[in-house]
Amino acid sequence: MTEAVMTSRDRVLKMLSGEKVSPVPCWSGVGNVTTAGLDKLGYDFATVHHDAEMMAKAAMSTYEIYGFEVVTFPFDLCLEAEILGCEMNPYADTKELLYPTIKVKSKNTVEDLRAMAKDPSTATKGRLPQLKEVVKIIREKHGNDVAIASYVLGPFTLGGQIDELEPLLKNSFKKPEETAEYLDALADIIIVIGNELRNMGIDIITTREMGATTDVLSPRVFKKIIMPPLKKIAQSQTGPSVLHICGAVLPIIDMMVEAGFDALSIDSKTPMNEVRERVGDEVVICGNFNPFLALNNGEASDAYNMVAECIKSGVNSVHPGCDIWPSAKSENMEAMIRACREIRP
Amino acid sequence: MDQAKKDELEKKLAEGVVEFDDDEVKEASEEWVATGEDTYDAIFDGLVTGMEEVGRLFATQEYFVPEMLMAADSLYIGLDIMRPHMVPRDTGVKGTVVIGTVQGDVHDIGKNIVKMMFDVAGFQVFDLGRDVPLEDFLKKQLETNSDIVCLSAMMTTTMMGMPKVIEMIKEKNPTCKILIGGAPITDDVADKFGADGTANDATNALEEAIKMIVALKDIQKEASKN
Ligand code: B12
Repeated sequence: MTEAVMTSRDRVLKMLSGEKVSPVPCWSGVGNVTTAGLDKLGYDFATVHHDAEMMAKAAMSTYEIYGFEVVTFPFDLCLEAEILGCEMNPYADTKELLYPTIKVKSKNTVEDLRAMAKDPSTATKGRLPQLKEVVKIIREKHGNDVAIASYVLGPFTLGGQIDELEPLLKNSFKKPEETAEYLDALADIIIVIGNELRNMGIDIITTREMGATTDVLSPRVFKKIIMPPLKKIAQSQTGPSVLHICGAVLPIIDMMVEAGFDALSIDSKTPMNEVRERVGDEVVICGNFNPFLALNNGEASDAYNMVAECIKSGVNSVHPGCDIWPSAKSENMEAMIRACREIRP
Repeated sequence: MDQAKKDELEKKLAEGVVEFDDDEVKEASEEWVATGEDTYDAIFDGLVTGMEEVGRLFATQEYFVPEMLMAADSLYIGLDIMRPHMVPRDTGVKGTVVIGTVQGDVHDIGKNIVKMMFDVAGFQVFDLGRDVPLEDFLKKQLETNSDIVCLSAMMTTTMMGMPKVIEMIKEKNPTCKILIGGAPITDDVADKFGADGTANDATNALEEAIKMIVALKDIQKEASKN
C-alpha cells in the first residue's frame, strides 16, 4: 500500500503501532470539537453530550472541515462518573460555552466499585449505549476512512470526579495502602468501560490521568500508587492505546513508558527534545503544542510555527497538549493541518 | 514566658507545619495558650513562618499538592486553638473577604490555599466554593458588605466570567476591591478585566489584600475628615 492512498485511519493506526508515517499524522485522542463545527451544525455545546446523532455529527466536524485525522468523542470527563451514579452539569442555561462538570458526586465505596465491576449491567449504563450508536453513525458515513477514538479517565483522576479530591490527595500520602486499594477498584471499572468501548468498534483509547501530573503529585507517590493501576489498565488493552498526562512530566516519563501503553501523549510543558533523549526513538510520542496559544490566542502563522517546531522536535504525530479549546480560529486550525502536510522532521 | 521559650515554641510550630505533624502543632499551641500570653507571635512567627517554608518547598518541587494540603491541616489545628487568644492589633488590618472559583470551573485547590492565608491573617472569609454562579458573588458581597471579593479561575474559558462579575460589583459598590487569580491570570489580564489586583500565589494574595484594605481605610479616614 503506498502512503498516498492510505486512509487517515491507516496512517494513525500505523503510527501508533510504532512505524514512521510521513507526513506526520495530525490527530487528538482528547477533546477537539470546535465552535466552527458546532455553528455549522447549528448546535449548542450543552446539548450535544446526551444525543447520539448530535454527538456523532459534532465529533465528525473537525475531520470533515479541516481534515483532522480522527473522530473523537465524548467531549467531557463525566462518562465513567455518570455510570457510577454521579450527576453531570452540561451548563444548559449559560450563554457561554462551558465544559461539563460533576454536580452531584456518587462517593462510591471500594465495595460498591468491586460489585459494579463484576455486574454485567455496568457496561450498559450511562451514556455507553449512546456511544455505541455514535460509532454506528460515524462508520455509516465514513466507513474505515477515519480512526475513531475515545478516552477513559485514569483511576486517580476518576477518583477526583466521583468524590472529593482533597481527601484523596492527602490519603495518597497518608494512607497509601488504602488509596491503592481504592484506585485498584477504580481501575477495574475503567477496564470494564474500556472493553465496552472496544466492543463498539472504537479504534483508539486514550487513558487520561491528568489529575496525577507532577504539578500535583510527587514522582514518589506516582510510582507507589498511580503506576500499579495504570499498568493493569495498559495490560487490559486489546487495541491501540495511549496514555495522556499533561503538565511537566519529565520526572515521570520513564514510568509512563514502563506503564505499557502503545503511545504517550504529552503537553507543551514537557520539552520534546529532552523526552526523546530520555526514552529513545522507539517510544511513540504524540504531542505536544499548546492548543490555546497555537489555535486560539495566536495568528495562523503562530499555529504553523508551533506545529512545525513540534515536528522538528521528533514527535511521531502532531497532537495538542490537551483539549482543543472549541473557540479555536479556523485559519489556525487550517495552518496546523498545513504545517503537518508540509514540514518534514 | 521568656524569649528562649517563645523561640522554642515558635520553632516547634513552624516545624510542625512543615512536617505536617498535627500532634506537635497541637501540643505547642496548647502550651502557648496555657501561659495566658498573646498568641499573635505564635501564629505569625510560628505557623505562618512554617507555611511560608512550605510555599518555598512547593515552588522548588520538593513538596507537591498533598504535602501542601497536609501542612494546611496542621496549620488550621494551631489556628483553631490560638486564634481566640490573639489580642487584636490596632495597626493590624482586619477585613472581610468573599472568595470563590467562578462558574464552570471546578479547580479549587489553589483557591483553598489562598483562603487559608486569609484565615490565618484573621480575616472574616466567606467561601462560596467552586463553580459559583456569577451573580452569587454580587449577592454575597452586598449581603456581607465585604471589603474584598476574590475570584479564582484556572481555565482560559472560565476566566471570561471574571470581567462580568467585576462589572456587576463595581456598578453596585464601586469601593469594593476585587482581587483575581489562577494560572491563566497575568497582570495584563487583571488590568484588562478591571480588577484591582492579582497575585500568583497565596502569600502574595494576602499581601495584595492587606494593601487594598489599608487603602480602603485611608479613603474612609479621608472621607470622615471632610
Ligand atoms: C488538578 C487539575 C484538574 C482537576 C481539578 C480538581 C480540583 N478540585 O481542583 C480535574 C481533574 C477535575 C481537572 C479537570 C479539568 N481540567 Co484541569 N487541571 C488540573 C491541574 C493539573 C492542576 C491545577 C492545580 O490544582 N494546581 C495547584 C494549585 C496549588 O495551583 P493554582 O491552582 O495555580 O493556584 C495558585 C495560584 O494560581 C494562585 N491563585 C489561585 N487562585 C487564586 C485566586 C486569587 C484571588 C489569587 C490572588 C491567587 C490565586 O494561588 C494559588 C496557590 O499558590 C492543571 C494544570 C496545572 N499544572 O496547573 C490543569 C488545568 C488547569 N486543567 C485544564 C483543563 C483543560 C481541564 C478540563 C477542561 C479537562 C476537560 N476536558 O474536561 C477539566 C475542566 C473541569 C472544569 N470544568 O473545571 C487546563 C486548563 C487550560 C486552560 N489554559 O484553560 C490545565 C491548565 C491543564 C492543561 N495543561 O491543559 N483539572
